[in-house]
Amino acid sequence: MRFAMGSSIDQRATYLQLQKAANQKLQDLYAKDLHFELDKINEPILWVKNMPNLFAVICYLQTDEIFKINYLSDLTAYDNIDHIDGDKRFVLVYQLLSLETKVSVRLKLLIDDSEDAKTISHIFPAANWLEREVFDMYGIVFRGHPDLRRIMMDERFIGHPQRKEYDIKQRMPFADNMKTNLDRNPVP
Amino acid sequence: MSKDGSNTMIFSTLLSEAVKWGRKNSLWPMPFATSCCGIEVMSTLSSTYDLSRFGAEVVRFSPRQADMLIVAGTITTKMAPVLRTIYDQMLEPKWVIAMGACSSSGGIFDTYSVLQGIDYIMPVDVYVSGCPPIPEGLIYSVLYLQKIIDEGLERTPALKPTYEEAMKAMTYHKTPEGLILPSIKTGISLGNGTNEEASKEVPNEVRNG
Repeated sequence: MRFAMGSSIDQRATYLQLQKAANQKLQDLYAKDLHFELDKINEPILWVKNMPNLFAVICYLQTDEIFKINYLSDLTAYDNIDHIDGDKRFVLVYQLLSLETKVSVRLKLLIDDSEDAKTISHIFPAANWLEREVFDMYGIVFRGHPDLRRIMMDERFIGHPQRKEYDIKQRMPFADNMKTNLDRNPVP
Repeated sequence: MSKDGSNTMIFSTLLSEAVKWGRKNSLWPMPFATSCCGIEVMSTLSSTYDLSRFGAEVVRFSPRQADMLIVAGTITTKMAPVLRTIYDQMLEPKWVIAMGACSSSGGIFDTYSVLQGIDYIMPVDVYVSGCPPIPEGLIYSVLYLQKIIDEGLERTPALKPTYEEAMKAMTYHKTPEGLILPSIKTGISLGNGTNEEASKEVPNEVRNG
């Protein structure tokens, strides 16, 4: 969609209308069998059921004329340990955006500790490092990821520090960050 | 002027005093600035505060050519070996300034990933308080360092721990059953095995626990 040299306020109004239309379409399409809600700034949140469902939704949103999703803003997760949002342990959050129509869609997926997620890095290459971060912090394994290593914590680190059961002050002493014995030897 | 009327000037001094004088007035800094304290280091070096008045103006970004390591900022546990390597690469004599709350004690970041003060891994001569310290604080620490050099105060060396000491410190992987291997979800494995091999060996209850 191309805009004439209008004011930015006009553009913003157009984007809001597009977002509204997108919300309506999303509701018509998926509200029957998936949980659909709007957040406080009228962005749609769609709770997909499982991994194949997520892929189907993403593929549809990429090809659809209204959505034209082509950008992954963020991929993250949170620990649903108190089961407020569902029965499973973690919630994966996919924040999608269209650079053309500025429509944004948030997909959420409940996932358990024992099950594995699948990578979307072949669809959005930006997901590569984001999935590594989610794996590092929460321990969610993404099947099919090209290089699933820790990205933030030390490679020798054991555990996943953003899980609620991980004590925030639990540091891991390694040979190169433990306290040096200052008075052990005389000055050489 | 000397007694015979010529222009020869002779200062009689100890060589050690001359060396001290030279050292304390040419403290070339190596800034290791990882966060907001680095901005204050830049401010201190710039013309308003002008650290070069005290002979510490030649900033060297190679540890081989520096005398004084200014650690300005939060040091994470992953950064610790890098910082220790830089300290080891500096030539004697060398001095360390821990600038700011984070590098002195971890600061507000009392978390799983932050080193609680760089004195865990290296000896520190001067700690500068503040979050971040004002440039006058850094200047004061340089002047204090000059005093330390001048008076020849005793400094404690920090030696790297041996392998046995390091193994003793790592108690987290000791359980009643014995050694816990890194779980499949950490993505690392002991020895040369690949991820698949490690996941086969580790029983399920250990993996999920």
